Amino acid sequence: MNAPDAQSAQPATTGHDRRQPGWRAWALLAPMVAWLVLFVVVPTVILLVYSFCERDEVGGVIFSFTLDNYTRVFDPVYLRIFVRSVGYAGLTTIICVIIGYPMAYYIARAPEARRNQLLLLVMVPFWTSFLIRTYAWITILKQEGLLNGLLQALQLTSSPLSLMYTPTAVVIGLVYAYLPFMILPIYSSAEKLDHSLVEAAYDLGAGPLRAFASVIIPLTMPGIAAGTLLVFVPAIGMFAITDLMGGAKVPMIGNVIQNQFMQARDWPFGAALGVVFMSMFAVTYLLLQRRGARIHE
Amino acid sequence: MNLLKTALVALSALIGSAGLLAKGELNLFGWSEYIPQEVLDGFTAETGIKVNFETYASNEELLSKLVAGGSAYDLVQPSDYTAEVMIRRKMLAPLDLAKLTNLGNIDPALMKLPHDPAGKYTVPYMTGTVGIVINTEKVKTPVRGYKDFFAPQHKDRLVVLNDNRELVTWALYSLGHSANDISKETLAKARPVVAEWVKLVKVFDSDSPKTALLNGDVDLGIVWSGEAAILWNEDRKFQYVLPAEGAHQFIDVLAIPAGAKNQAEAHALINYILRPEVSKLISAKFPYTNPNLAARKLLSPDELANPASYPKEGKLETFRDIGRLAADIDQLVTDLKSAQ
Repeated sequence: MNAPDAQSAQPATTGHDRRQPGWRAWALLAPMVAWLVLFVVVPTVILLVYSFCERDEVGGVIFSFTLDNYTRVFDPVYLRIFVRSVGYAGLTTIICVIIGYPMAYYIARAPEARRNQLLLLVMVPFWTSFLIRTYAWITILKQEGLLNGLLQALQLTSSPLSLMYTPTAVVIGLVYAYLPFMILPIYSSAEKLDHSLVEAAYDLGAGPLRAFASVIIPLTMPGIAAGTLLVFVPAIGMFAITDLMGGAKVPMIGNVIQNQFMQARDWPFGAALGVVFMSMFAVTYLLLQRRGARIHE
Repeated sequence: MNLLKTALVALSALIGSAGLLAKGELNLFGWSEYIPQEVLDGFTAETGIKVNFETYASNEELLSKLVAGGSAYDLVQPSDYTAEVMIRRKMLAPLDLAKLTNLGNIDPALMKLPHDPAGKYTVPYMTGTVGIVINTEKVKTPVRGYKDFFAPQHKDRLVVLNDNRELVTWALYSLGHSANDISKETLAKARPVVAEWVKLVKVFDSDSPKTALLNGDVDLGIVWSGEAAILWNEDRKFQYVLPAEGAHQFIDVLAIPAGAKNQAEAHALINYILRPEVSKLISAKFPYTNPNLAARKLLSPDELANPASYPKEGKLETFRDIGRLAADIDQLVTDLKSAQ
């Protein structure tokens, strides 16, 4: 019973020793650590403190201790909003994978000069402000807009389609905004994909589908996972697109939180929503990590 | 030679800006789309006082920022009911009325109202109403009030302000209550009405509700009168109607936050805005109802004929501060919007 323990402890300690950072490493890390403390740790602590406080008449924060804000977070109304936000963000992520995967794979397989041009095209939209790009979508989708004009000119539809201010418009806006964040990570793992492994699969008798499903997908899984995280998390908290393209009709969790800090002036409740929201992500992430680690073992 | 020239230019710019600083500066915090830049430029050209202008989109945002420790502002522009709570909470400094020599231009009927009974803290900037805009090319049935507006046949053809208190007020009006008759009981009565209405609306937008109307995405709207006036100028098919059940009138004021550092400069800008020829410029750009009677004499007949800027008599009411009930209203509307 003792022996295996000692054995497994031995390499771990030496590994740990070897990785112990020296003062030089800390000096190099210092700006990053300072940044994290100042802009992540401190604000999170403020958020946590506020979430137990009360609001006063004009919306100031009264320092007291109450759990009311947390009880309110678990009101069915907010849970329903939360579930809906997860739904929208999930749909957005799935569509991003379906559209983004073939694109990323194609770019990764393209000749080098071509590859850089294509990557540039993926990133060009970032040169313009996000809000301006969203307004551009309004011009396209509105009742008397470009898309309806085109459809009617081609005589594909007789009357204009109502696209603006619908859930469809919200999902279009979300997919458009986050697609690059799916393409880029998948691209980077598809680029590293060793093509000889795919050839080996063919040699061993796998068809294109089988090779794709049991070789290419598992090997690019880290890219898909990273892309999913980069799309799903921001999409769930997005409030500008639901306001501008969805007509602010159906609130998402991001709208509710933003509303607490502006219209409703209830910072403590907004903070409580933020804390719960953040904890849910942290827990999900840790669970996924642990599961991933177990699979690797 | 070139280097010398550049150095001289830089030096003179430095002296110039120092000169401006000596004449003072002013931090203005106002509504977006409400104060024309040329008015501020004119003020700076005349007095040398530099104006730093920041904007907000709702009274709540203004309060949020002031409560969060924004004492850096010298002049703010709250609506009546927000000014009321600011006065009560001693967040405003009393005005030196002797310095406001043009104050006599303001319609006396708009002074010393319940939000500032002594008329010591606020000066009206613009007033307006919240009413119904109808695209008469698309809507042929008459729309006189909230009940006609929120009719089932208008489903998905409506834009309304994204403002929870407004929405609840309209419901209260349609039930025969007044705008400030807000209590747990009346909110409970308004709830089923708002629940039905929310299902009919296509767009909630307070910033620019005219956009959805202009784009043809909706045919009717409940909007700020200034927005409706711009629509009418754009195309006469957009008609403005004050709801028969009653309508919200707002008086946006200029006020100086308590503890403001540049109060003399703030007074100078208020007095400058009170001049008829300056006030006229504001009306030309943002056609709300001008409270400055001397300025109204300078407006064109066309401007005065705009039914949204100068509506015929209607049943109008201003909002009063409702304290913590605002949170109940917010919860009610969030609840109903997400229940769809």
